[in-house]
Amino acid sequence: MQSAARPLAQEQLARYDRDPASILQMLRNLQLQQNGIRPSDIETLSEGLNVPATKIKSLIDFYSFLHDRPRGSYDIYLSDSITDRMLGGREVAWTLCRELGVRLGEPRPDGMVTVSTTSCTGLCERGPAAIVDGLAIERVDVERAREMARLIKAGAPVDEWPLDWFLIDDEIHRKGPLLDADREPGAATERAIKLGPYMTLAELQVAGLRGCGGAGFETHQKWNLCRSAIADRRFVICNADEGEPGTFKDRALLNAYTDMLLEGMAVCAVTIGATRGFIYLRHEYEFLRDRIERRIQRRRDKGLLGRNILGHHGIDFDIEVYMGAGSYVCGEESALIESLEGHRGIPRIRPPFPVTNGYLGKPTVVNNVETLCYAAGILEQGPGFVANDGDEPGWKLLSISGDCAKPGIYEIPLGMPVRDVLAMCEAENVQAVQVGGPGGTLISADEFDRRVSFNDLNTAGAFIIFDESRDMLEVALNFTHFFAHESCGFCTPCRVGTKLMAQMADKLAEGHGARLDIEQMRRLHKIMTQASHCGLGQVAAVPILTAYEKFPDDFQRRMDDVDFQPTFDVEAAIERSKQIVREEEAAR
Amino acid sequence: MTRWITIDGRAVPFADGQTVMQAATDAGVFIPHLCYHPDYAANGSCKMCTCKINGRQMSSCTTRAVEGQVIESNTEELNSERRALAQMLFAEGNHHCPSCEESGNCVLQNMAYRLGMTALMFPNFHPGRATDATHPDVLLNRDRCIYCELCVRASRDTDGKDIFCISGRSENKSLTINSDSGTLADSGLSIDDKAAEVCPVGALIKKREGFKQPIGEREFDRLQGSGAQIRAPRMPKLIREPGKKLKLATCSLAGCFGCHMSFLDIDERILELVEHVEFDRSPLDDLKEFTGECDIGLIEGGVCNTENIETLREFRKRCKVIIAVGACAISGGVPALRNTIDVRELLEETYINGMGVDNGQIPTDPELPHILERVSPVHEVVKVDFFLPGCPPSADAIWRVLTSVVADEQPNLPYDLMHFD
Ligand SMILES: Cc1cc2nc3c(=O)[nH]c(=O)nc-3n(C[C@H](O)[C@H](O)[C@H](O)COP(=O)(O)O)c2cc1C
Ligand code: SF4
Ligand code: SF4
Ligand code: SF4
Repeated sequence: MQSAARPLAQEQLARYDRDPASILQMLRNLQLQQNGIRPSDIETLSEGLNVPATKIKSLIDFYSFLHDRPRGSYDIYLSDSITDRMLGGREVAWTLCRELGVRLGEPRPDGMVTVSTTSCTGLCERGPAAIVDGLAIERVDVERAREMARLIKAGAPVDEWPLDWFLIDDEIHRKGPLLDADREPGAATERAIKLGPYMTLAELQVAGLRGCGGAGFETHQKWNLCRSAIADRRFVICNADEGEPGTFKDRALLNAYTDMLLEGMAVCAVTIGATRGFIYLRHEYEFLRDRIERRIQRRRDKGLLGRNILGHHGIDFDIEVYMGAGSYVCGEESALIESLEGHRGIPRIRPPFPVTNGYLGKPTVVNNVETLCYAAGILEQGPGFVANDGDEPGWKLLSISGDCAKPGIYEIPLGMPVRDVLAMCEAENVQAVQVGGPGGTLISADEFDRRVSFNDLNTAGAFIIFDESRDMLEVALNFTHFFAHESCGFCTPCRVGTKLMAQMADKLAEGHGARLDIEQMRRLHKIMTQASHCGLGQVAAVPILTAYEKFPDDFQRRMDDVDFQPTFDVEAAIERSKQIVREEEAAR
Repeated sequence: MTRWITIDGRAVPFADGQTVMQAATDAGVFIPHLCYHPDYAANGSCKMCTCKINGRQMSSCTTRAVEGQVIESNTEELNSERRALAQMLFAEGNHHCPSCEESGNCVLQNMAYRLGMTALMFPNFHPGRATDATHPDVLLNRDRCIYCELCVRASRDTDGKDIFCISGRSENKSLTINSDSGTLADSGLSIDDKAAEVCPVGALIKKREGFKQPIGEREFDRLQGSGAQIRAPRMPKLIREPGKKLKLATCSLAGCFGCHMSFLDIDERILELVEHVEFDRSPLDDLKEFTGECDIGLIEGGVCNTENIETLREFRKRCKVIIAVGACAISGGVPALRNTIDVRELLEETYINGMGVDNGQIPTDPELPHILERVSPVHEVVKVDFFLPGCPPSADAIWRVLTSVVADEQPNLPYDLMHFD
């Protein structure tokens, strides 16, 4: 095996022209090819790229899907988001581990298989989900887990597994202008070129398009800032990292509306004067990559990408797909750029912002998938494209999951009350909704008149429904651990704070919580909100505290009515220490 | 024309391109910080220098000064956040100052003194990160690393060697060495490198230099009497019957009785003390049981065995105010150095394999207390009302606290009386 290592790493070097910025792509490919990155690979890449081996190791340690110790030949990750758990994910994990004789997170001694859990894989409405050898599998119930175990024991290669497991479909339940549109490839780009940048920006402004990735920054302004920055090169990046648990609308767009996204990127490029674009696609969406790359090629063939787009002399723009390797914080735009340059995904110090100092220090627009799709629609049909009858202009894609009869994708006019959304997806006995992912807003039944809107309940797309049977502390616990796991560890309040929050949340869940713990958590929350370097740390304490405020019963039935409880289980510690003596006596 | 910003009401001039931190430093205005160093590009990770800049909290080391900016820094709101950040770093690492070579010269420790941080507040993570002692002149104790990245920056930007690297993420973050062996031995690090001296804490230190300077002459000892401290910790108020003596109990858990010795060092002042205070259960009067309810319980030492737990719980039940006295009570102290070692291994080393042990066996006598897997600070087991740091706290510090309580005042622990060692 060892002899094969060198050629594979060499192959990667050649494939990416020894470009150090592509190091993450090389590592990821090696990981997928041989289930782990070997010391010899690190050596080869280090020499070939003239990058210290420690730096390569630091990337492997940072990204969750890279490993320097080999994983099993069958490499399985089970999505462990709250929606997977609600669909029985825990039981699936136990079943799979039992059937295969492995422990979670550890390779089986014979090297045959590893089963681990991972953060939300973006298949929330069709979970529990798994990723096997890099490919997503939907609806892994206990039955399917047993079947998987059988196939693995029989040594069946993954490409011989039932095909329908891998066919990730999109359930689109409600279409608005974006999902309904019939598009003429190239039309929006042609119109943007004809209108010129000023008019193009004006169209976006009139339409009122705002970023769909969470922050809601006005798109025309972002493009304009980038356009007016003085530079020789500019870039467009499509943020397809979609890591926020409960969000899967970009997945649907990337799958069924690929051309619209590419069109949107081209519109942006001709407006700001960018020549190169990237789609930063999360690792979990490997199954979409081929399709996207084929579409890019088709557009090149038609003259919609590449040199002299649509025959316009001097207008060049091309797009590459760049894969993530497992890190939620890489969805943050400056961390994304770091990752794209081949570094660990640590958010940059801002200002300066990417619009002036982005990829390679050049002005860069980073937009969410959905934002770019809407931009394409607006440029093809004019600002009226996103008109609706309500008070707030614009539409929003929701990815609805959790307790309802019809989970899936819904395009709704902004300003729609939560109550109407719940009726649409046929949810009953609803106790709570998480609007936006873990960092969003948890609302209880008395707030269902609130609206999905930039001014009220802002969401990047997640809409997770919990019926009355759900334990809201469990929900908050899952979110709290998610943040602790995904913290990039750069700044003190988040690195230490998320871990402390997770410890304290566990303490509450295990029935050892007291009033002072809540006080302590509030104090921590304030510091994390105020002092954290990026949005992750700023919101990481929100889920557990909001759940406590809105659903106190789920907490109080586990807590004694006291001020203080020890930080660890003292009785258990005493018991363990007595056990040592008992063992000692037994041994005599 | 000079341009100005305002920090805590004071006008501070700045030059083009300067950050708030740089302008403040030039003007002699102190903003607490750990990862900032004037010679290097700002890192912005420790967040200690967070100020309110035009109403919003931002890192002052990464924020450009702009004409007319209004900055708040020395406010209780911000200092209490900074104190909590220091507490987070103490919880994340193993900071046992009494046994640390850097004590007295340590920037983190100094920051904690200035911010009036007496208590740890958060449960300790007990990391057991690998120590690197392979280099002849330099030692890396990763359990004390606060990830300020100064060694990374110094090695890359000044020494041109790029020896240090930050790896991993979240709690698995680590400081790695760029050498074939992954250790300092073959890293090319020289004792004269900037990287070898830049570490603000006791993580990356020069060998054979620890404890050389006597107490009183170390870098931050000089701040004593300078009024450098920002805030004194507070104690809950005692409800007392007028005219009645305060009842005081003391005990030593996993400690060395050094705090009790230091108590006795108040010398003849003890005569004045007993005018106002009556001793109950305490090794000082050899009373082994409580005679009744007490006002104050002084706890020396951390919790290392089952008997400690019983004693501590009894004290909590009987005393209105519990004061954790000394490093061991507050952080586990020297006994807690064993926390990274498995108990079984520990017992076997002590009673079976240890040097000079013949025919040893692990004692199982029912009379003996059971040893716990970890030595814990007192506040992780019971609620603690006040913390008096030091190893030991000086007689003056103990005197100050007790007389304040007697006089029904808040004890003031100025920088001079704040010691973690
Ligand atoms: C921790 C964190 C994670 C994020 N993840 C994503 C993501 O997965 N997708 C996304 O589009 N934006 C994400 N964002 C927001 C981006 O930073 C950025 O605002 C967005 O991509 C801009 O695009 P828009 O203006 O089109 O919304 C994230 C932000 C933070 C702080
Ligand atoms: S807030 Fe968390 S994720 Fe963001 S930079 Fe700080 S440590 Fe990293
Ligand atoms: S003196 Fe040593 S133990 Fe104390 S805070 Fe500094 S580095 Fe940590
Ligand atoms: S070893 Fe010292 S200088 Fe280096 S990162 Fe850690 S604390 Fe900072």
